[in-house]
Amino acid sequence: MAIGVKVMHRPQPESTSYLRAALSGMALTFRHMVNPVKVTQQYPEEQTELHPRWRGTHVMETHADGRPKCVACGLCPTVCPANCIRLVGGEDDQGNRYPIVYEIDEFRCIFCGMCQEVCPVEAIHVGQHFENAEYTRARFVYDLDRLMEQDHPVTNLWDPSDPTGE
Amino acid sequence: MSTTPPTSAPTAAPSAPAPATVTLTIDGQTVTVPKGTTILEAAKTIGTKVPHYCYHPGLSSPAMCRLCLVEVEGAPKPQPGCVTTVADNQVVRTVSDKALGNRQGVLEFYLVNHPLDCPICDMSGECDLQNYVHAEGREHGRGVEPKRVFGRDDFGGDVLFYGDRCVMCTRCVRFMSEVEKDERLTVVERGNRSVIDTFFDEGLDGTHWSGNIVDICPVGALVSKAFLHKARAWDLEHTPSVCASCSQGCNVELHTRDNVVQRVKPRENLDVNGWWMCDYGRADYEWMNEGDRIEAPLVRQADGSSKAVAWKEALGGLLARAKELQGRPVKAVVSARASNEDLGALAELVGALGGGEIVYRSPRSAEEIVLQGFPTLARRKDLAPNVKGAELLGMHRVGADDATGGLDKVRAHDGIVVVLGDALADQDERFGASAALYVYVGTQLPVAARAAHVVLPVTTHAEQEGTFTNHAGRVQRFWPALTAPGMARPAWLVLGALVGELSGEAVPRTAADAYAALAEAVPAFGGLAYPKLGARGALPMISGAAVSSGAKGA
Repeated sequence: MAIGVKVMHRPQPESTSYLRAALSGMALTFRHMVNPVKVTQQYPEEQTELHPRWRGTHVMETHADGRPKCVACGLCPTVCPANCIRLVGGEDDQGNRYPIVYEIDEFRCIFCGMCQEVCPVEAIHVGQHFENAEYTRARFVYDLDRLMEQDHPVTNLWDPSDPTGE
Repeated sequence: MSTTPPTSAPTAAPSAPAPATVTLTIDGQTVTVPKGTTILEAAKTIGTKVPHYCYHPGLSSPAMCRLCLVEVEGAPKPQPGCVTTVADNQVVRTVSDKALGNRQGVLEFYLVNHPLDCPICDMSGECDLQNYVHAEGREHGRGVEPKRVFGRDDFGGDVLFYGDRCVMCTRCVRFMSEVEKDERLTVVERGNRSVIDTFFDEGLDGTHWSGNIVDICPVGALVSKAFLHKARAWDLEHTPSVCASCSQGCNVELHTRDNVVQRVKPRENLDVNGWWMCDYGRADYEWMNEGDRIEAPLVRQADGSSKAVAWKEALGGLLARAKELQGRPVKAVVSARASNEDLGALAELVGALGGGEIVYRSPRSAEEIVLQGFPTLARRKDLAPNVKGAELLGMHRVGADDATGGLDKVRAHDGIVVVLGDALADQDERFGASAALYVYVGTQLPVAARAAHVVLPVTTHAEQEGTFTNHAGRVQRFWPALTAPGMARPAWLVLGALVGELSGEAVPRTAADAYAALAEAVPAFGGLAYPKLGARGALPMISGAAVSSGAKGA
């Protein structure tokens, strides 16, 4: 089959009026004025509801007396694929193993959530949070105090009543 | 008890009658082993590791952990592999349903009171209980009763005891009574309440070998205080090395993380140290991590200040000056902590400069500390690893037993002075001030190197490849575990380059080259090469002299 060329006959500007198109456009505008359909979300006054498994910046859970739950077992820096966790373990005055240094570089983090999954004491969690703006890059390395201060809700990566998904 | 080290088997074999052997079948494989071998050891020869706790090749076998029970055809019940000797035509199954089922049951009992605190346990990652349960244990525990709790106990020395983690294999008790022969530990109470304990408050303080019980503990019950919470087992890199704490030359492994030595563990070598090492050697690693190192060659300027320069410039200037002074007598001071290659290169350099005297200073302790159950192992009097090597190279000892003094002649020498590795801790900044050329080759910059015309930064033995000669003349290799700081290079490379320029000989490019050159030049090192030395070292082939004089060299 030979290739055919379709010839378009468009109306020339001088032979047509813009009026009809303008009126139909304005009709649409005025229709929305009297019958508004809300699509714009008024962020930040209105907050988005995050998906239950949203994985945002980390939270370190604490005991009732304010100590971190972390026991410095070293599994999260081991499992971390982005190598963004720095951990130095030690012993506190009550003989408990605890992290002397615990830092997460949130810039290097890929938010896979494996640190939370691997944690044997449910200390480190990814969180329901995404508003992380800072003025300097250095502020994105969260140290232990900062991680314990985070007050946003943590993510449930699995159903607490059925942790193995059976 | 199998703590007797094997005598030189290869030479003894031809005269002795051929040892009787036994042929049996283990897991379908036919195995031929000497008569009297246990099933567990016979299985090892075909690469089958039968799980066990209480058995250790260096200790007696009480057969009490019940984990190495294997199925022997014809026997009414499973047999403990660690004490059952092999018999002809025996058929052994280590992974049959019966054997596996037995192990699964035994492991479940071990977990009845085990706290499962792997996240905070230092043994995690290299723990036999963890490994065996992971490989063969039940997926879920069935225990519902509360676990008994002992808490932890400070045993003294470098040892902490976590009673809850203990599997009661009693290896530690047997080590103290059979090998160290200083009975400090025992089992108190019975049954479920039994626990390892010390006698009253005596503890392990004052023992010299108790660090070994941490190594042989198959679980995390005995842990080292120095290593407590320092690193996870899976983060550590293991580098074979030789202990530099005395002239025994124990084979060790340096465990490093992030370019820092975290701990030292003994490496099995039945001809030298068996499975053991002393507590002094075990604690002697912090110096490898010291940060105040010389990182660049330093050349003294006309105004007396030192300037960091590139290697080429430092060696070029040094060569020009050395050629001017060639023929002037050389006095060299070396450290007995330097490797054979380093010392050999220095000896060649002194020869190329026209000859001179090389002395070394080395600390000596008053007495040997012998491991009673393994008498070929002792903490020797010479507290440096390569005293024998220095002696074989014709260097002689000066100074007192605390490695001070004896350098008056060198101090006032007006020819060429070379110092390799000696920290010159007892000397002041006037040392070598009258020398025509004073070269300091070392790792750290002491006050006594203030007058040096050239300071050359070199590596420690933990940062380079090389060999030490132990008190008996055995040459043993070590490997680099750390990255050298800055521009520091091995001394054999630096000095070898100088020798090459002075004499026109080939410059050694590798430590193996350097050793080959040494073996050629010095008959006492002859007949050996790196591939022959392997990981466990060897005695030089020729010199009966080197071996026999080793006895008094201790």
